[in-house]
Amino acid sequence: MRRTDAAPGHGPRRGVLGLRRLAPYAGIAPFLAYLALFLGVPSVSVVTAAFEDPRGRFTWSNIHLALQGAYLVSFEKSLELSAWSAGISAVAGTIVAVALVSSSNATLKRLVTSASAVFANTGGLPLAFAFIASLGNFGIVTRALTGLGWNPYDHGFSLYTLTGLVIVYCYFLVPLMVLVMLPPVESLRREWFEAASILGARRRDAWRHVGVPALAPQLLAATMVLFVDAFAAYATAEALTNGAIPLVPIQIGTLIQGNVLAGQQNVGDALGLAMIVVVAASAVLYARLQRRTARWQR
Amino acid sequence: MAALTISQGAGASGARRSRSAASAGFRFGAPLRALVLVLTGLYFLVPLLASGRFALEGARGTWTLSAVTALVHDGSLWGSLALSVEIALGAAAISVVLFTPTSVWVNLRLPRLRRVMEGLTLVPLVVPVVVIVLGLYGAFPPVFVASPAMLALEYVVLAMPYSYRAIDSGVQSLDLHTLTDAGRTLGGGWSKVFLRVLLPNLRTALLSAALITIAYSLGEFAMASLLSFTTFPVELFQIGTEQIDEATAVSVFALVLVFLLLVALSVLGGRRRAARGSVAAGDVGVADEPARLLGASRGGGDGEVGA
Repeated sequence: MRRTDAAPGHGPRRGVLGLRRLAPYAGIAPFLAYLALFLGVPSVSVVTAAFEDPRGRFTWSNIHLALQGAYLVSFEKSLELSAWSAGISAVAGTIVAVALVSSSNATLKRLVTSASAVFANTGGLPLAFAFIASLGNFGIVTRALTGLGWNPYDHGFSLYTLTGLVIVYCYFLVPLMVLVMLPPVESLRREWFEAASILGARRRDAWRHVGVPALAPQLLAATMVLFVDAFAAYATAEALTNGAIPLVPIQIGTLIQGNVLAGQQNVGDALGLAMIVVVAASAVLYARLQRRTARWQR
Repeated sequence: MAALTISQGAGASGARRSRSAASAGFRFGAPLRALVLVLTGLYFLVPLLASGRFALEGARGTWTLSAVTALVHDGSLWGSLALSVEIALGAAAISVVLFTPTSVWVNLRLPRLRRVMEGLTLVPLVVPVVVIVLGLYGAFPPVFVASPAMLALEYVVLAMPYSYRAIDSGVQSLDLHTLTDAGRTLGGGWSKVFLRVLLPNLRTALLSAALITIAYSLGEFAMASLLSFTTFPVELFQIGTEQIDEATAVSVFALVLVFLLLVALSVLGGRRRAARGSVAAGDVGVADEPARLLGASRGGGDGEVGA
């Protein structure tokens, strides 16, 4: 409100030395300051702390520590989890999007779109509890299967493993994928399919040589998004496994909660920096793919 | 965390195309389509139904409300809920006060910054929460980090991708220049125009933004737990480690509440659109939303993480 009061107005000769040209930016200064303070400062602090020892001197040792032993394992686990969940969700989400576009039922489409918007936002505790209630040791589905004579827990399955986490992560990643892929799937032109079939292509060929390549950039870009989403998730994994699977966010959480060795206070920051690097790399890749999409669409 | 999508109108842009291409092309036949949709439906509905059943299950398969009643008498749960509500209201208030003038200003005076702002507001989506928490401990004195106010201040940032968007789409759907010029011509000062002309027109948008922020804050677990605040979800987590059925009962209840909140939001959004008689400029289809969220996130994201 204050800002609108302080409007520079249309009156000329108000500012000195180009201040008048800068004045409009004053209107968003509080917003920028807020972001800088509560998002920028913490992020920068993590990056600098990653290169400092407890006394504030420059060191590489945090980075070295973060890239070996248990921490390296946590990276492998995190990457494995994110890659599997993103990959499976990308394929499943695209298939659902195609199935949805194939249907001429408008109500169904609206229903699924709305439901996807809701499900894409689940996560954390309710999601973990819902899966414990269905696929946990004493979950409803587990008991039903046991009743049928096949207890999944006797056959090497457990919800509290990486596989379990993949199943749970798909719950919010698949709907996200459906939402992202609906527009590109809808924009697959019928004419392309007809052209392919006139040229003698069977249904399968048309998909293989036209449909899939046309969707590929979008699909890969969206997969990067899912990957980042899975990679950064903390709450769901923590709630489900109680920290049993050493993912990177979980490791950082353990370090934050005070379980650090003397002299290694800043290892958490190094792990944080590594997370930032992974996310940034994915973002760059995403941008590349996105540009490619833009090139051929229209 | 996953992108919270504001459900406002289902892909209006897609409707035209899908109708024209409904007959053939890159489509599935009816049996395959049905199979895919039924399987997907099961995957999404079974955990929901299971948690409902789990919450209300008594000994030997009977139905009981005991898990629910046990919780009603749980004092610490109510205490944590009070803390969560306080934080949520604080975050919602700050969001509205900070974002509304910013959005109005950008749309009125700095329209060329619109894309930049869009990118900037999405940055929190790509910065992991654990990283922000690390940074808070590193950058701020312990006194600040130990105050619940910190949580509210951070929730403003974490919910920004959704709340700013809600406000901004409301602002964009207004004819800002006409409204402000009219107000000014009639002798209103800037503050008067803002308070008496713009704000009443933005009621629904502000309400949406506030509700989204509240929903986010009430459900956020990672940051609260890492900053050692016993908010509602953190308390729920602790109950869950001992009494999973009770915890499930509450979480089902909370889930239903949030669901109702989201439904209310889309109803509000629908009514606003209906009242205006056309699709407002800022309203993007649900289907476009995540793509746009993410499309814009790269610019801001790079700048942020590179810092």
